[in-house]
Amino acid sequence: MTDHENMRMLISAYIDQELSESERQAVEDHLVECEECQRFYRDVQKISSSLKTWRAESLSPDLEQKIINQVKAVKNREGQHMRKKDHHIPYNAMSTLMICLLVFTVSLRVYLKRNVQTALQEAREDVSTENASPALTAPRGAKKETHARVATPQLNAARGRMEGGSALREKANLTAPPSDVPSSQNRLAAAPVEPGEKRKAVMEAVSGPVLGEEVLSDGFLFKGQPPREETPLGIIRQNEVLVSKDRELREQESLPVFYGESAHKTESFALDRLEGKADSRLGDRTMETGALTGRYAAEESRAWSSPAVKKMMASPAASMSVAPATQGYVANGRSGEVYNYTDKGLVPMRPGFMIVEPDEDWAGPRPYYEKKEDANTEQYDRIYENEFLAVLENPLSTFSIDVDTASYANVRRYLNHGQMPPRDAVRIEEMVNYFVYDYPQPDGEEPFSLVTETAPCPWNPEHQLALIGIKAKELSGADMPASNLVFLIDVSGSMNRPEKLPLLKSALEMMVERLRPEERVSIVTYAGQAGLALDSTPGYEKERILRAIDRLEAGGSTAGEQGIQLAYRIALQNFIPQGNNRVILATDGDFNVGVSSDGDLTRMIEEKRGEGIFLTVLGFGTGNYKDSKMEKLADKGNGNYYYIDTLNEARKVLVSELGSMLFPVAKDVKVQVEFNPSAVKAYRLIGYENRALAKEDFNDDTKDAGELGAGHTVTAFYEIVPAGSPEEHRKTDPLQYMETVVRESADLMTVKLRYKELQHNTSQLIAQKVSAGQLRDPEEVSDNFRFGSTVVEFGLLLKDSAFKGQASYLNVLQRVKVSLKSDAWGYRQEFIRLVEKAAVLDRVY
Amino acid sequence: MKRADEELILEFQNGQEWAFEDLFRKYKAPVFNFVMRLLCNRADAEDVVAEVFMKLYTHKHSYKPQAKFSTWLFTIARNASISKLRSRNRLSSLWVSSGGSDTYEEIPVPDPGPLPPERLMGEETATAIQRAVEQLPDDQKEALILREYHGFKYDDIAAIMGCSLENVKILIYRARARLRKDLPSILMEGQDD
Repeated sequence: MTDHENMRMLISAYIDQELSESERQAVEDHLVECEECQRFYRDVQKISSSLKTWRAESLSPDLEQKIINQVKAVKNREGQHMRKKDHHIPYNAMSTLMICLLVFTVSLRVYLKRNVQTALQEAREDVSTENASPALTAPRGAKKETHARVATPQLNAARGRMEGGSALREKANLTAPPSDVPSSQNRLAAAPVEPGEKRKAVMEAVSGPVLGEEVLSDGFLFKGQPPREETPLGIIRQNEVLVSKDRELREQESLPVFYGESAHKTESFALDRLEGKADSRLGDRTMETGALTGRYAAEESRAWSSPAVKKMMASPAASMSVAPATQGYVANGRSGEVYNYTDKGLVPMRPGFMIVEPDEDWAGPRPYYEKKEDANTEQYDRIYENEFLAVLENPLSTFSIDVDTASYANVRRYLNHGQMPPRDAVRIEEMVNYFVYDYPQPDGEEPFSLVTETAPCPWNPEHQLALIGIKAKELSGADMPASNLVFLIDVSGSMNRPEKLPLLKSALEMMVERLRPEERVSIVTYAGQAGLALDSTPGYEKERILRAIDRLEAGGSTAGEQGIQLAYRIALQNFIPQGNNRVILATDGDFNVGVSSDGDLTRMIEEKRGEGIFLTVLGFGTGNYKDSKMEKLADKGNGNYYYIDTLNEARKVLVSELGSMLFPVAKDVKVQVEFNPSAVKAYRLIGYENRALAKEDFNDDTKDAGELGAGHTVTAFYEIVPAGSPEEHRKTDPLQYMETVVRESADLMTVKLRYKELQHNTSQLIAQKVSAGQLRDPEEVSDNFRFGSTVVEFGLLLKDSAFKGQASYLNVLQRVKVSLKSDAWGYRQEFIRLVEKAAVLDRVY
Repeated sequence: MKRADEELILEFQNGQEWAFEDLFRKYKAPVFNFVMRLLCNRADAEDVVAEVFMKLYTHKHSYKPQAKFSTWLFTIARNASISKLRSRNRLSSLWVSSGGSDTYEEIPVPDPGPLPPERLMGEETATAIQRAVEQLPDDQKEALILREYHGFKYDDIAAIMGCSLENVKILIYRARARLRKDLPSILMEGQDD
């Protein structure tokens, strides 16, 4: 290296400001006098700046989505027990393992002395006619080292077994040699008879460590190691035995994803390490630094991965022959890496994404919801679908109205992330009520209009489908009661996501624009401790409200108790008589109220409801979302519960819906339908499972039910089995002493609606008869009916409902496309996209 | 700012999913561009990036607090890239031997003939630079990319590449010297002022 070259190297580092003080001085001195090096200095700087013309690119949104989906897939598979299991556990259990190792070694010796001796004798005679033993064909370059190393695989084998925690697994390894006597004998016989060597030979027979270790320690994968001509049959057969044992084990519940996952993790890491070493061009990488792929990982892999698979990886000949049997495992376990070995005979694989699907093949195609139900921290109450009820037994059907729409938004989130939603996350009535229907305005004194329509049921031609639509009257500005709103906002660290707090802030700002001067807004935050971000402020001070919203920041953990109490206190202090007094809780679900038990919390909310302060819940974010709890809270608080995932949704809820919710026109709205047995044999209320009321609750004014906001619509569907149908839905025998007399009537049913005006505690009744002759032709149904029924059908498909009949995505799509007329917001277009997504996803599984 | 990443990964190790999302959001572009420049092939780079974040997700516990998060993640990325490179080389040589195939997609390289310096502007400069960097030996390329595009200090680069500090210095110097030789036009262009 010339002096100049040395100097230029320093110059290069000088530009990067990586020199020591003295070197820097030397470079500067040199630059002054050497023109040649000055030019170099300038050139390098020029190159540096021109390098920037190679612009950074961004990831395609597709790719991002793909990665997110993959991660989600892993997350769902991992489940909670998986998350708890960490790498350090085996280290904690190290001492236990050492003891096991000792026991294992000792027992091996005993086993050898007592049992194998005889086998050896016999085998020696056989073997004289056989070829050289497989054990001997293994490279013997580092014989002594191999001997020393035997301890490690033993330990590892022991650890692997311990970890698996399965006696069967242990048996698989221990019993393999004896059950495979003819082939293992070869090796045993040919091996020298000294105890140490003998032990090694047995070890080879058990888990083939010599070869595996050799390769591993050389770090020189297959290179310079010609494929062996004669394939050692013993090894192959054992591989198959072990692999099939493996498979058995995986299929058992006791060793689920656990085992496969860990094997996958560590194998891929061991490979990283191997590759790092084998890569001569990039230098002999020692890996001390890369904390990740270092010895730790390699150690891990030896401890965790199944001996059979490890051996397969390490031994090209063996893996080639075993491939047909184990392909699935290898490919699924470590698809990315498998690829590296394709030219050695393993299945050639597309260099695909590393999709971790260790046990997919063994379990066979699974229904999507199974893995989600217990694998997610999101909680959904089990929904037992309403069944068909015989009219003679249950002529009355009663339910409380529901204008929640959270389920639809939640379903949308799942589908947009490429997953089918869990069954219990699908609440059909919420999906139906997500959309706005074009029912006529109520006229006269009553605050509601009631609409009914019946037509043949699209997914079951033998049945009929009845729509019941309710529309609350719209209020003009002057009629609207003033609002006193207290936002209770979760600002814990987990809300610090673009789709959570910032989304809420944007939506709040939009809402503030619509506030009227006499209305009041305050903001309470809760995290480490509850705080008042904005004391109750009148609507004309928009600037102040907006500034407070702007200042909201996420950080800290959640302590909801003081938060909710403070919120209610402020709501009470600023109570507007005859107004809309409401606490709006915005959270992503970790509502750690110190009132901790849900019971105390709901009691408090109910109590406040009695004082005229209602509660609305806005759910944000994913993954930690306590759906059932949220909905219960909102129910208790006489309020609604919304799931917010996009700005559009936030706007819909906070500006338009909450806008109308802010002005309820009635409370405790209940619906009761009486069916006429001469026209209807049985009926089924679709959805509203958790809104069902006992028939006597309908007239009981102390029973709470949902409230309805100005301009709101509510839609419910009944699937009806007509009287002439041969179907039987009766569950009890006819009564012996009482006769049911069916009165002559041309009615199909009577729909009754009870509600209370906001300031009253006695209910009003609206009733409407529906004639049986009103069945419409499927082609002539109203747009409301057509669209609503497709949403129901879609919901049935998502739930994989027992009552889905001939429902199909194709039918849904065909019908929905005709009902796009009243789609002001583009929600129905979005619905079509969701149906298309679900159609694809559902078919995959 | 640097510390924040380390805190995030610890949060993630403690089961905070949002921390992963933060890290993903922050590092997706740097990692992608790093891999992209190493591999010069979008499809491969996409595969590798997906793999890297998958590993970050599934192997979060192999991160040790004494390491810097960024170097740790880039180590994963470079290892994955090297695997990809190696499998690609194997593949392409296979294809060549079997008569070649046009299904393998490379970044389109313009006519390799020397371009007159005055035409080396804008787009073309970028292409020329890209090509010159591409043709560097892999280790020089990697060191240079880490330095020039990601602003890593030499000791971080040494940590990522698993070599000595001295080695990093040499690699970067060689890369620059070679670019200087390969890109006379760019240097001449600037010589005028």
